[in-house]
Amino acid sequence: MLYELNNVVRLFGSRTVLEIDSLSFEARKIYALIGPNGAGKTTLLNQLAFLDQPNSGEIRFRSTPVSYDHSSLTGLRRQVVLVDQSPILFSGSVWKNIEFGLKVRKIPKKERARRIEHALEMVTMSDFAHQDVYGLSGGEVKRVALARALALEPEVLLCDEPTANVDREHQEIILKILSHANSVRHTTIIFSTHYLSQSRQLAHRTLLLQNGRLSKNLEENIFQARIIRRDERLKCLVNGHLIPFSDPDGLASDNRQLRVHVDPQKVKLKAFGQKPVLSPWIPGKITSLSKENGNIRIMVDVGLKLQILLSEDEFIAHPYQVLQQVGVGLDGLGVTLLP
Amino acid sequence: MDLLVDSLKSALLLLLSFDPELYEIVGVSLNVSFFSTLFAALFGLPAGFFIAFNSFRGKRLVMTCLNTLLALPTVVIGLVVYSLISRRGIFGPLELLYTQKAIIIGQIILIVPLITTLTIAAISRIDQRYRNTALTLGATYYQMGWVVFLEARFGIMAALIAAFGRVIAEVGISMMLGGNAKGFTRTMTTAMALEYDKGEFVLAVALGMVLMTFAFVINMVFHFLQGRLKSDAL
Repeated sequence: MLYELNNVVRLFGSRTVLEIDSLSFEARKIYALIGPNGAGKTTLLNQLAFLDQPNSGEIRFRSTPVSYDHSSLTGLRRQVVLVDQSPILFSGSVWKNIEFGLKVRKIPKKERARRIEHALEMVTMSDFAHQDVYGLSGGEVKRVALARALALEPEVLLCDEPTANVDREHQEIILKILSHANSVRHTTIIFSTHYLSQSRQLAHRTLLLQNGRLSKNLEENIFQARIIRRDERLKCLVNGHLIPFSDPDGLASDNRQLRVHVDPQKVKLKAFGQKPVLSPWIPGKITSLSKENGNIRIMVDVGLKLQILLSEDEFIAHPYQVLQQVGVGLDGLGVTLLP
Repeated sequence: MDLLVDSLKSALLLLLSFDPELYEIVGVSLNVSFFSTLFAALFGLPAGFFIAFNSFRGKRLVMTCLNTLLALPTVVIGLVVYSLISRRGIFGPLELLYTQKAIIIGQIILIVPLITTLTIAAISRIDQRYRNTALTLGATYYQMGWVVFLEARFGIMAALIAAFGRVIAEVGISMMLGGNAKGFTRTMTTAMALEYDKGEFVLAVALGMVLMTFAFVINMVFHFLQGRLKSDAL
């Protein structure tokens, strides 16, 4: 394992901003961190970049516990680079900014020039090499920061919302660069994003953080929804189905468009045989079954791909099959509104 | 009004005639001010860095003390240093009194708090992200400090210029510890005070013009460097 985090807690004052019981990251994979603002994504990335120390718990990097003395940290940091959400460039030229990390690693001048030119090409900013950074736009700053990280050819590239404040065209470029770094250089990439589409497009695994904690089993099951008032109660409309929800953050208001998460362990499943599926059950068809850590993962097509987790005991009691018609039951406890 | 105009005319003539006495006084002033600023910077810059970079118990008290020292009157410094280096003082055997070294010692005490507090202010203004960016790019702790120093260079240069301006224009320490000895410890300000006492305004006005010219030239150089260094940091 590349990273192993055990019982990691980070406090800011008396507030717990990160509390990870157990989390590991494999090398050569792409991970997406999603979650609302203040969920702890940046705090986690800072921990992984060895820029911040947890108040308690242990972080292991390549099976070795991280030691937080200056000399050990420099060695660790030279394997990992974090590109900030609002990156900052040192005053000087674009070239000198990218050269900085290479210089501190004492990389020879010729090799430095080769890497800088290649990195600038990747972010399509070769023409800006000798320009002063003061004249750059927000999106250009972001691309230079990415080039600065890529030139170091790190083992791990951490990106905090890499496509925030970047136009659509360059968003695609950035995502392609991340994908390329992973597939060609085998760089492990961990990035945070608000967009599930990006995590689906890029990531081998998606982690959801809420209130500093990892949401278990939440890798999928996030859908667009509209809040609608029916019979004096607010419900959410997902793909034509009105379902109840829980709203711990007080986000619901009439006619508001937002995202919902369906907890795969709290979805009920019922076999209806040849009988029609009656309301409030939602009709669907099982499209795949797989075993996962003592659970059975079932994909049900209800117009959307819905992931459901059953315990092995439940599955033995009700042995569902692929292509079987089923009814899906969602109650307020398993459906949570996301900002 | 006539007195001022006449004095200005005579002062200008004195300057253009390259009067050796005048240029000797200017030389002493520059020499003393340069070395006191240099030695004060050697102590004040690292101290400012250390205080700005670190959190420690009593930091607030240290800041309060430094701010208080900013208001320290030159005559108080003159008295304290005099008591230490006069013949009966503990450093009496070094025979420093009424030498340029004595003036430099007093001026160092005067401007160390100024350089330290202005350095702290300059460093503290630099966004924390510069430190994290340098570290994540693989910089050691000292390389990160260098990055912050470069980003704060204009603030630090302003601190040194302010310190130099403070010592070249002060009179109390120079008078008390230097003794205004012609050719040895007579600075522009002590010479101006003496000439005023004598009722001779010409040399005083000429020296005043030199002082103002220095202030102008230093600020011009600072602005010029600011423009050039902006694109030349790393």
